[in-house]
This record gives sequence, C-alpha cells and structure tokens, in this order.
Amino acid sequence: MSAPHDALLRPLTIKGLTIRNRIMSTSHAPSYGKDGRPQERYQLYHEEKAKGGIGLTMFGGSSSVSPDSPAAPWNQISVADDGVIPHFRAFSERIHSHGAALMVQLTHMGRRTRWDTENWLATVSPSREREPASRSIPKEMEDTDIARVVADFAAAVRRCKEGGLDGCELSAAHGHLIDQFWSPATNKRTDEYGGSLENRMRFSVQALEAARAAVGDDYIIGIRMSGDELIDDGLSHEDCLTIARTLTERGLVDFVNLIGGQARDHIAHAISLPNMSFPVAPFLALASAIKREVGVPVFHAQRITDLATAARAVEEGHIDMVAMTRAHIADPHIVKKLMEGRADDIRQCVGAGYCIDRIYAGNDALCIQNAATGREAFMPHVIAKAEKARRVVVVGGGPAGLEAARVSAERGHHVVLFEKDTTPGGQVRIAAKATWREALTGITRWLFLQAEKKGVDIRLATEATADAISAETPDVVLIASGGTANRGSIPGAELAHTTWEVLTGAVEPAESILVYDGTGQHHAPSCAEVLAKKGALVEIATLDRMVGEEIGGTNQPIHLRELYKLGVILSPNLQLIEIYPEGNKRVAVLRNEYTLEEEERLVDQVVVEFGTLPVDWLYRDLRETSVNRGETDLDALLSGRPQPSVEGLNGAGGFALFRLGDAVAGRNIHAAIYDAARLCKDL
Amino acid sequence: MAGALAGWLTVGLLVAAVVIAVHHSRRWRAGAAAEVDLVAGLKALPKRYLVDVHDVVGRKPFNARFHALTAGGFLASLVLLVLAVVPWFRGPLLWGLAALALALMLAGALMVGWRRHVVKPTELSGGRFARLPVSLIAYAAGLLVVALDRVAGGALPHGVTLVLAGVGLFGGADLLVGVGRGPLKHALHGALYLVAHPRPGRFSGRDRGGERKRDSALAPLNLDDAKLGVEVPLDFAWNRLLGFEACVQCGRCESVCPAYAAGLPLNPKALIQDLVGAMEGGAADYAGHGHPGRSVAGARGPHLPVVGEGAAIHPNTLWACTTCRACVDACPMMIEHVDVIVDLRRFETLEKASAPGKAPGVLEELRIADNPGGFPAVRRIDWAFDLALPLAREREKFDVLLWLGDAAFDLRGQRSLRAFIRLLKKAGVDFAVLGEDELDCGDLARRLGDEATFQDLARRNIARLEGLSFRRIVTMDPHALHVIRNEYPAFGGAFEVVHHTALLLELVEGGRLTLGSLSGTLTYHDPCYLGRYNGVTEAPRRLLDMLGMERREMEFSGLASRCCGGGGGTSVTDVAGDRRIPDVRMEQARETGAACIAVACPNCTVMLEGVVGPRPEVKEIAELVLEATE
Repeated sequence: MSAPHDALLRPLTIKGLTIRNRIMSTSHAPSYGKDGRPQERYQLYHEEKAKGGIGLTMFGGSSSVSPDSPAAPWNQISVADDGVIPHFRAFSERIHSHGAALMVQLTHMGRRTRWDTENWLATVSPSREREPASRSIPKEMEDTDIARVVADFAAAVRRCKEGGLDGCELSAAHGHLIDQFWSPATNKRTDEYGGSLENRMRFSVQALEAARAAVGDDYIIGIRMSGDELIDDGLSHEDCLTIARTLTERGLVDFVNLIGGQARDHIAHAISLPNMSFPVAPFLALASAIKREVGVPVFHAQRITDLATAARAVEEGHIDMVAMTRAHIADPHIVKKLMEGRADDIRQCVGAGYCIDRIYAGNDALCIQNAATGREAFMPHVIAKAEKARRVVVVGGGPAGLEAARVSAERGHHVVLFEKDTTPGGQVRIAAKATWREALTGITRWLFLQAEKKGVDIRLATEATADAISAETPDVVLIASGGTANRGSIPGAELAHTTWEVLTGAVEPAESILVYDGTGQHHAPSCAEVLAKKGALVEIATLDRMVGEEIGGTNQPIHLRELYKLGVILSPNLQLIEIYPEGNKRVAVLRNEYTLEEEERLVDQVVVEFGTLPVDWLYRDLRETSVNRGETDLDALLSGRPQPSVEGLNGAGGFALFRLGDAVAGRNIHAAIYDAARLCKDL
Repeated sequence: MAGALAGWLTVGLLVAAVVIAVHHSRRWRAGAAAEVDLVAGLKALPKRYLVDVHDVVGRKPFNARFHALTAGGFLASLVLLVLAVVPWFRGPLLWGLAALALALMLAGALMVGWRRHVVKPTELSGGRFARLPVSLIAYAAGLLVVALDRVAGGALPHGVTLVLAGVGLFGGADLLVGVGRGPLKHALHGALYLVAHPRPGRFSGRDRGGERKRDSALAPLNLDDAKLGVEVPLDFAWNRLLGFEACVQCGRCESVCPAYAAGLPLNPKALIQDLVGAMEGGAADYAGHGHPGRSVAGARGPHLPVVGEGAAIHPNTLWACTTCRACVDACPMMIEHVDVIVDLRRFETLEKASAPGKAPGVLEELRIADNPGGFPAVRRIDWAFDLALPLAREREKFDVLLWLGDAAFDLRGQRSLRAFIRLLKKAGVDFAVLGEDELDCGDLARRLGDEATFQDLARRNIARLEGLSFRRIVTMDPHALHVIRNEYPAFGGAFEVVHHTALLLELVEGGRLTLGSLSGTLTYHDPCYLGRYNGVTEAPRRLLDMLGMERREMEFSGLASRCCGGGGGTSVTDVAGDRRIPDVRMEQARETGAACIAVACPNCTVMLEGVVGPRPEVKEIAELVLEATE
C-alpha cells in the first residue's frame, strides 16, 4: 500500500466545489450552540480543524428546520428562520479563510426529540410509535404537516446557500423524520406515504425536490443515511441500496454520507457510534457497497481513527471522503501533521466516547485527552514558547503529570519528571487492563512520547523526595502523584478488596464475588467483567438506579451487554453498609435504598469501588517550603494569567508548588489533563 | 667518460621509451573514432596542463611541490643529458645545470619516498608504484654525483662514477621503460589525453564568479547507431581509452567516492584500472584497493563484454555509481569516470535491458506515465489545490516558470514546494506552473542509461516550454536544473534556468523578501548537481548567512561535497553496501554539531531524512527562509 498521503491528500470535486483533500469531519452536535445559533465557540471549534488542514468540516448535527423539531436539546442550531443567515456567513468566511469547505446538516427529528422544551410542541412522525431512546410518543403527521415540513426543508436549504455554506446534507440516519418515513418499523401509514418503499420514500423525494427548486441544481445537497439499519423490522441493506440509487439517479443528492445501523434504542445508539470495543471502521463494507451502486461521492464516518485505515478506505475505492470526526476532536491538526511529515505527532482518538457521552448527559462535548478542544477561545492547541525558561519538576507520570510535562516542555522550560513506577501511565494502566478498555493506554502513550520528544528528562522507577526535588533547584514543582484506591469506611472495609487489586492481578478471583459500585463509573462494571471472564460468579450491586449510571450512552450499553452475556447479576438500588467474616467467606450487608430493608450475600470475596484518595504526602512535605504554600491563584487560573507566585520568583531560590489531577481529589482523565494544561500553558 | 656514456645511454633509453609507447599505443588507437581537433588541443596543452591540471594537483600542496620538483627536475635532466651527447656542450655549465636539476629532482624524489613509505596514504596503489621512489632516487642521486663529479673535473675514481652512472641509468631505465606499464605511463598518456580530451569545454576558462567552467552535460547518444552504448572496451572512443591509460592511480577518486566510503562495490580507481586491464586482457596488473566486497575481475579483453557477472566489471559496480562527479572533480588526469559509467549503462539498459532493482519498473513508468512513480499527470499539482497555482497554459505571458519536478509527487517534496510557493507569493513573483503538462525532466532515465526515454521526454518538454512566453525557469530540483540548463540545448531547448536558492537570494537582496533572524546552528549540504555540476556553492551560503544562524562546514563541502546517495538512479538500483551512503554523509553533518542540516535538493532531503537515529533536523533552504520571513 502506498503512503497515506497518496490517497488522502488529493482534491475531490463535487459540482462547483473542490475539496482540497479527502479528510472531513461529519456534522455532530457538540452542544456549543448558543441561542440556537453557531456562535463564537462553535465557529472556533471548527476553525481549528480548518487551520489544521481538514478538507471539509460539517457542523450542526441535527440542525432543525422546523419549530416542532426543537434546537434546544444539545444546544443545537435552528435553521428554521432567516436569523441564522448572518451567523452562517461569518462561519463560512472564517472557515474559507483557511481553505476548508463548510457544510451543515439539516433535519427534522420527528419523534426523536422532546416535546417538553423550547416551543412545547408535540413531536411528529409518520406513525404513533413511541421512540425508546427519546421516549416520546409522536403525533401522526397530517398532510398539512408534511407540506409544512417539506417547505421548511426547502427554506432551510435556501438559508444555507444564502449563508455562503458550500452545501448541506439532509439527515435521514439515526432515526430522524426522513428515515422514520423510510423505515417500516416507524412508518405504519396506509396513505401514499406508507406501504411500499416507493411510498415511504415519497416524503424524502418531496423534501429534496423542494430544496432543489429553492436553490437550483448547482448547490450541493447530500444525504446522510444508513446502509443497513441492522434490525429485523427496519430498513434492510437492499432497501438502503434502492433508496440511495433512487435519490442519486434522480439527481436529488450530490453525495451520500453513509452510516451503519440506527439509533432508536440504547444499544443501537452505542453501535452506531462505535467505541473502543469495536474494531476500526466496522461499517466500511456498507459504505463500500453503496458506493458501487451510486454515481456520486460517498462519505463515511464511524471509528476511522487512524490515517492508515483512512487511506485504505479511500485508496481501495470504498469511499470518496473519509470522515474522521472524533479523530479531529482528539487532534484537529491531523492533515497538517500528515503534510508536515509529523504523522507521529497526531494524538489519535482512542474511542473512549467521552465526547459524545457528555452530550447525552446534557453537557458539552469535551475530549477525554485533548483539553483544548471546544475551548479554543482560551486553550491553545499549539502551545507557545514562554518568554522566560524555567526549571520545572513534575512528580507523577500519569495523565496529569505527563500533560504537565509535555505542556511545560512545549513552553520551553527545563522539565524533570519523576515516576516511581517502571512504566508511565498512572491509573490509566490499571483501567486499561479491563478487557475492551485496553485502548485507553493510547492517551498516556502519546503524552509520554511527546514529553520525551520535547526533551523532558523522564526518570522512571524513581520516587520523588523533597531532597531529590530540591536538587533540581526548581522554580515550579507540580505534584501529580495521583490517587490510591479507596477501600471505603464502612464497618469491615478492611475485608474488602479494591477494583485496583483485581485489575492489577494482585488478588486472584475466588468463586463467588460481590462487586460493589460506589461511583457509577467504568471501574466497577469493568472489574465485574474481568472477574466473570475469569470464571467467577459475580453480582454487581450499586446504590444507583442502574449499574454504570454515570457512564454515557455509547459505553454503558456495551458494559451492560457484556455483563448480561457473562451472567453477572445486576442489583441496583442497594447500598453496601457492612462486611463481616464468616469462616473463610464474607458476608456483605446490603440495604435497599428505598425500603431500607437489609439483605445479605455470602460470598468468597467483596470487591469495592469507592474512587481514589489523593496521594499527597509529598505535597504536604513541600507545602511549607514553597513560596505559595501550594495555593493555586484561581483568578489567575480561570482568566488565563500566569500564576502570581511564579511571576514573583526572582531567581533567588524558592519554588512555587501546585497540585494536579487526582492528587487534589479523585476525578477523571479529562480533569487531570485539563488541570495540567490549564495551569501549565500560562507558566 | 661517464658523462658522455650517461648521455648516450639516456638517448638510447628515450628511443626505447618511444618504441614502447608507439607499440603500446595500438591498444588505445584501436578504439572507436572520435572527432578531435588535435591542432587546437596541442595549442591548448600548456594552459590545460599548467592551469587545469595544476588546479587539481594543487589542492594537495605537498603533492604539487614534489611533482613539480620531480617531474621538472627529471625532464630538465633528460634534456641536459641528451645534450651531453654533443661534445661541444659538455662542460661545467651543462653539468652544473644538470646537477641543479637532479638535486631538485632528488628533493622531490625524497618527498615521494616519504609519502609512499612513511605517510602511506591508503588510497595509493602498490606494485610498480611501490618502487617508484627507489627508481627516482637512484636516478637522481646516482647522476647527481656524476654531474657534480663532472663539475669538479673528475674528482672521483672512474670506477665509482661509472657505477654511479649505472645506478642512475638503471633507475632511469625503470622510469622510462615504464611509459608502457609503469608509473611514468601517466606522463605521456596524460599529455596526449590533454591534447585529445573528449570534453574540451571543461578547459575553457573561468566564469564571472571565478569558478572553473563546468562541462558536465552528457553527450547525446545517436539512437540510430547500430550498437547503443559501450559493450566491449573497443566500443569506447580512442581518446577515452587514452584517458584510462593516463590514470596514475593516485587514488584521489577513491578517497572522495561516496559509494566507496559506504562500502558499495565501487572504487573509481579500480574501475578505470579494470578498463585498462580489459584493453590488455589477461590477468590483473593492479595493486590498489578493489571494489569493496567484490573479488578481482573476471574474463576480460578488448573484444570481450566489459560488464557482466564474470566479466571485467561486475554489474553491481556499474550500478553503484551516484554520478556525483566527485571522482571527475578530484582526478588530476582529467578522466571522465561518469561518462564511462553512463556509456556502459546505456548498453546495459538499451541493448540488454538489464538495469537492476527497481530500475526497469521505474523506466517503464517513465515511458508510460511520463514520471517515475507512474502517477496520473494531475497528481503533480492536485496536492496544491489550496495554493491555487497559476497554470502556464492559461497565462499569455509571465515572468517565471516554476518547474515542480518529481518532488511534487512526494509528501516531503510537497512541503518544500509549499514553502517556496509561499515565498514566491509573498515576494509578488509573477509565476506559473506547467502542472499536468509537466513531464519528468528525464534526469533519472538518462543516468540509468535509458537515453531513448530521456530524449523523448526532453523533446516533448522542450516543445511544451517553447509554446509558452516566459523569461526564465526556476526549480528546486538541481537535477532538473542541470538537465534543462545544460542538456536540453543539445536538443534545441535553450532556457534560462535558476535554482530557487538563487532566486530567493535575488528576492532578498532586491528587498522583495524581508528576513527576520533565526537562531541556532546549521550546516549546508551541497547538492552534487548544483555544486559540482553547475559550480554553484556560494549563493546558497550567502542566502543562509542572511538568516542569522551560525553556519558550520562539514568535512566535505562545496565542490568537494559528499553525495547523499540519491543521484544517478542509485536509489532505484539499490546496490547494497556496508552502510548507506546517506548515513555516511549524516555522520559528517553530526560531527559539526549543527542542529540543522540545510539542503537544496529534493533527493538530498529524502535521502538524509531517511537516516535513523539522533541527527540534525533536515530542512530545505526555502523552509528556513520562510521561517525567517514569518
């Protein structure tokens, strides 16, 4: 196979538009919209990709065309009125100034949204089937509704053209209104919009024809659709082929942006946004099949995280544009780095799904490993050199410590990093031991390689002490010593094992095990899965309403699927209140959160997950000798100014001391990395 | 008595030398016909010797001194000894002058001895050369005493002077008889070769920059010839064969050859001696270093094929040459090794179709796709879509044609091109590119011996260029620069071509580009096709010195620069050695301690960047200049 650039760094012409290369980002909903418009934050996020060399960036996943498809969920964009046009214009100019193309996705969500927000209008759909994911029960569309939404699509496409966007796509994937009409699972109509596939396609054809009439044949309109809904009563692969062929043969669409699966329930949703448990490019074959049938370019996303896979997809002719959407969330400068011969510097998406999971929990999209994504207004993707080079000592080689070392080295400081283990990675190394979570190591591996490349003096298997640190005569000491597993404080806690002990292999699993989940995160289900795979009989109890309640929509279903497959007993709503021994066994006392009734489990082992406690003895040792007594000036931190304690150093000895990541309080990888990047970028 | 005897014996030895030389000349005179202007050559001889040869010899001042003393003293003594035959001349004055000449020669001979037997440079051949100092000293010392005795009116006993005259003449005999096979062979053949040199253009003086003019273009091959290229020694023109005879085995070529240094099976000195041996046939009479990793040559003779597994020259030797011209530049006898290599390659490629490694595939792609990678023509510019390059065919008239070259197909090359294009735009240069209409310049095909494909590409490129209205061509590729500037004229294409470093220097000096200051250290690697082929070594350095970085020089630099290993098709013939040529070069860069190695050729960039392990950062000059403007 030839080098990635051979396939990828070639332009693609669609109608009057030439896209400079074959790498794109698909429309998604990062929740950066403000008042239903793509404003500064949203634009800066996409501008970074344009600066990074991307060919086409598409924004506004599920941008709504009608008032009964509210833009409020996920802070999305409303294209339902002309007020959006000036924003589109500013956005287009911003992206075009870097040579990239810009498009938007338009949709009517149909039943796949909420009625209890924004305009409080009932959701609409071809039929009255309840959607499992949004739980909404829609109103069956009347002919007047159909005519209205068709006209709304046309008007929205016109707004895109007037806004200077290079094109747009209509979403007919993930169970939106258009594919609600297409799919026999959601379309039970008996009029000319239901029944035969031709009838079910009628609404989409009308919408596209109206759009064409509004903007002419020259404007680029595409469609995002599935290549196979992968459910018994949904659209088959043959149906999808027919739809794609029909729409392209009639000249209604200029590209097909293809996905595999659909998203009407939790597991379908997780499959359509494949996380790290999936192989790369799991649905490429579907896109490839569609490409053979249609005469227009085919775009495709879904876990294409590396350039080799991307290049193969294009080179072998499966698709025309390869969408590396989450890959660009992890690193918006993929193309630039490829062009500059720095492909090794690309921070590769590990498929943690942190970005998308946050959306479905009502938050904004953030990258588990790149603290600058979505924060472009104040967090730089490229770290500038500091005016004054300082001596920095970092304690700890986990995510916080490595990021602190990397950013400090980029700033031009002299950096020494102490890590007491023989390998860097910190707690990530433990988390990665859980079956399909292995790819997490990519996060710290990249940080480590970058820190090493930037000249950080990394001292592995070396425990930092106050003396060792002072021997470096540092200006700044950053304590990122992480945390240690918390056994909890219930009576009999000393009889429990921690998830760490199980994952690291320090404790061999016995026959019957109760896993108690006190955090609702990945740790307990991961651990239960490992134990069950080793042959133990496992029950996982939690005080939450469901196991893994804090885990987002693309990961929790995978955990649950695996636990169910392994026969793990899921016991929500139970709090662990005591453990006591009985012979060689343990009795775990669980109390129902709601009835307060107690029940007992006689097991061989009790494994608990209570998060971590900070490892802070070194911090405390150093605190009194530091110039700032370990205090971070929060005003300076939050306003992006250098820490006054560091500014005040006059070279006459003395150092400023800061704590980062779980050494402050147990949180997560993103928090650790953000702690480090935010502080160090201004030091 | 001893004096007159010495005179007569000298005359006898000279006659014998002439007889031997005439007999010997049958070997080289049997070569193919060549057009030579002997009269002009004879007229030019003194200047060719005193200026051009001594330019080269004088690079090693010690050698120049001992050569002047030894050769000058020897020639003068021969003349004086011949005069001693005439009684009228025999007198203190003659013997005084002879003594002076012989004393000078003795001094030179002692220097030769010192060098050969005390310093012992490894590149020197042994064999007959090992006893050269003995013969020189015997001749000079023996006859010096005789001459001094004559001046003193015969102070020594006759017997002693006779013995000394005998010793001297014995040394003289060894030297003079050596015009056939011994060290002195170089003097006669070297002089004749200077008269009949196949590249009279290389002696035509200096350019305005004070550099010796370079005549580095390969001569076109007549594709209608019955036999294409050189198969057997006698296919070489007679004056080429004469050149091989001129080789003095000084080993200067050996010590500058990048292939030899990396342990590839090529030693230019041994190559020339292989050809000398092939002219003669029979066993090898050569006592210098061979081709690394290859045993002594196989079957050879004036009518036997030169190249082959069991022939005089192994194919791997032929294909290990990078055509860097370091040997040509270093040769005091003005031998044209690269012409020889290409003549032999032409036969191998055009008649035998036996070019090795990836060469056949690359040549086929050149024939089919007009570029060595076999890319569709559009790929030469499609990577630059976002740069909106002006297309020549859409422009009525423009100032500069940017020749993109083969680097346009390569990611690394594209990065350098991007930097240069941004500089052109910054400086407001009115430029355009051929884009899809650009064909490969033909350099690779020509160096691989595929003259047919080269001529086809050259003619078609010339036709395309002639249909356009522009002032001059600029290119980042010294290979394209050389081919278009120096080799297209033979096919009717006359274009002004500048290297991008020259244009950038012009833009900076003209105030159209403003440079800020960069920090750090760099060393500059001269591309062979810019330096030795075109004599350009100072302009890139002047440009680099404007960047404010500290410039350090490598052990081999300027006209003596060491090749990166990327020329002459060696990157596709891929003959293995002990090391890779770029690794050797990079080691020299590392030794300077510079943080950056500035390059000015896309081949050099690729070769040097391919070196693994810690090394200076490889940066194209345009990239550095762009950095300095930002």
